Amino acid sequence: MDNTNKIDRKEAIKRTAMIIGGAVFAPNILGILKGCTAQPGVDWNPVLFSNDQARLVTSLADVIIPADEYPSASEAGVPAFIESMINEVYTEEQRNEFLEGLDSFAENSRITLETDFFDSSDERRYEVVYNENQSALEIDRNESASFFLRFKELTILGYFTSEIGASEVLRYEAIPGMYDGCMPFEEIGKTWAV
Amino acid sequence: MLLNLKAKKQNSYDAIVVGTGISGGWAAKELTEKGLNTLVLERGRDVRHIEDYPTAHKDPWELPNADNISAEEAKHYKKQMRTGYTVRESTKHWWVKDTDQPYVEEKRFDWMRGYHVGGRSIMWGRQSYRLSQMDFEANLRDGIAVDWPIRYEDVEKWYDYVEEFAGISGQTEGLPQLPDGKFLPPMELNCVEKVLKESIMDNFGRVLTIGRVANLTAHHNNRGPCMFRDRCIRGCPYGGYFSSNASTLPAAQATGNMTLRPHSIVNSVIYDEESGKATGVRVIDAETLEELEFYANIVFLNASSMNTTMIMLNSKSNRFPNGLGNDSGELGCNVMDHHLGVGASGDIEGFEDRYYWGRRPNGFYIPRYRNLNGNNRDYIRGFGYQGGGSREAWQRGVRELAIGLELKDLLKEPGTWTLGMGGFGEMLPNHNNRVSLSEDKVDKWGQPQLVFDVEFGENEYNMREDMKSDAAEMLEAAGVKNIETHDDPGGPGLGIHEMGTARMGRDPQTSVLNKWNQVHSVKNVFVTDGACMTSAGCQNPSLTYMALTARAANFAVEELKKGNL
Repeated sequence: MDNTNKIDRKEAIKRTAMIIGGAVFAPNILGILKGCTAQPGVDWNPVLFSNDQARLVTSLADVIIPADEYPSASEAGVPAFIESMINEVYTEEQRNEFLEGLDSFAENSRITLETDFFDSSDERRYEVVYNENQSALEIDRNESASFFLRFKELTILGYFTSEIGASEVLRYEAIPGMYDGCMPFEEIGKTWAV
Repeated sequence: MLLNLKAKKQNSYDAIVVGTGISGGWAAKELTEKGLNTLVLERGRDVRHIEDYPTAHKDPWELPNADNISAEEAKHYKKQMRTGYTVRESTKHWWVKDTDQPYVEEKRFDWMRGYHVGGRSIMWGRQSYRLSQMDFEANLRDGIAVDWPIRYEDVEKWYDYVEEFAGISGQTEGLPQLPDGKFLPPMELNCVEKVLKESIMDNFGRVLTIGRVANLTAHHNNRGPCMFRDRCIRGCPYGGYFSSNASTLPAAQATGNMTLRPHSIVNSVIYDEESGKATGVRVIDAETLEELEFYANIVFLNASSMNTTMIMLNSKSNRFPNGLGNDSGELGCNVMDHHLGVGASGDIEGFEDRYYWGRRPNGFYIPRYRNLNGNNRDYIRGFGYQGGGSREAWQRGVRELAIGLELKDLLKEPGTWTLGMGGFGEMLPNHNNRVSLSEDKVDKWGQPQLVFDVEFGENEYNMREDMKSDAAEMLEAAGVKNIETHDDPGGPGLGIHEMGTARMGRDPQTSVLNKWNQVHSVKNVFVTDGACMTSAGCQNPSLTYMALTARAANFAVEELKKGNL
């Protein structure tokens, strides 16, 4: 079991290293480092989250999926989606665990950043989230084990099942009409939404 | 007196069919097409083709919470959710609420049910395989349970018959253990599945074929074709796959001979001691709780294996104190399913510039290859695999080190090709695996609850070792990397292939049904759902239910004409 973990981990790091080092992606990395977006507001009416929790969820989701030529996580409605999932789909135990995790994240990042996460700069937020993600992956491959990976999972799920994520960022065909099992990727161009 | 006679006449039919699922739909079609005035009873609500598929056209973003049902609702579906994939926001209306439809588990049994017109023919997996001669001979050869009273040649033309109406797409392979059928054009294997196919033929001499599936690859009998949406389980507005709602029930309706009565819970079969025949069925109206009786010359029980047996166990009379036709004491025994949840998966390199178009509602199939020429393993019978190849999509992002724009860019491109397969193994008939009626627990309609006392045996567990290691071995030989195996049998029932509780046989002392699916001792009652199965094979069983139903209906009508019923 331990052995498999190590292999997967090594594989994951290798892949990521390639991506970060790849010239194709360099402009995007610069994009986030130079970015200077407005401090996140809250564009929905939270029923579970406090205002600060909502601001944190919004800014954290947007670090995980920021805007490029396509909208960011919050612009796609992800924060409200996360709240709805926590509030409606999670059991009470899971909900409490999530809220505790969210508060711990707020607390820990406040110590690191010397300010609230959502008041910090894009660059510093990215740093915190990158490190958080890295250590979460190191600790456990079970993606729902840590608060952070659970949050990341919800962000990705919410984003790529939203109309923007599914039909603009990815490729979506409601009625494909046929099946071709081996066609040139360039004719499709993007990952299928579903 | 006169009034009663009149009422009886109004409630009288040539035939009664109990249930509207895979087999009930066929009974309805065959009996009505042969001119019988037929009452078709369904315990659940009506479902009209197309107009009652409320989620069929929903896009992902139109389903709240990414298609997950709420925790509050999930409390009602605790057992139905054991599959992990069936109860979603887009499909929850097809599954019973366990809180409404309780049963007793002396041992865990995963009983997945859909009570509505069409039954599970709306939600089934549509994999359609014939049993082979060796399956019909298996019990005799192994000296276990009882011998099937029929052989492949008895059913062959009925397989042809139902396939030609239902529409099964697939590839002929010429295998004795998996007879070919009357196929529509096969769906296509994708890039990596073709690699696996070649590899396992070269390395092991085993066949990999595209799944034989009741999805239409061409326009067929005014239905389809399949649009490759892979949303079959929501109900198909194109009639792109076989369901009672799209196929058999409309055919029955078109004859003008069918009376369909939803909300009709059949309590028992009415047995007449004098004639030695059934005269009809007792029904509870699910909405009004009114108790009704309907009469007919023949009764087809197609309520699904466990419910058919429940009705028979509940049909007690002086002649049959332990349930209708239960002279053998085998009614309720020999519960079978297929055992699954075991296999392997991994990544395969290459084809990075290739992708696929369409959501193929089907995978590949590796027919049984073990124990075909004598019992050379430490178990008898065998298993097949179902699996598929695909490219990782955005879900992989959770475990990526990337964050932010890197992550977003990464997920716009598909990931590694992966290949996986899971085994479907034969479960042996065992007298001790049984369902019975609870003596004290009833449901809200006052019907006794079923009690399950079923478990997998040593043969199944021994087989699972091969099911796991063979899968990994075949993937490895094809160059698959990062192979992970899995093995979780879950509870019996998870295969959603319940079978065997009113088995066919040659001897009334050891079986419930004869070779025509007639109750041995009550010749005008026929059972043609999964309850009739004498052994399970490792193939998905629905096609066999269809063939046996059409065969039995044809026989029943001939016998009726001869005055034998």
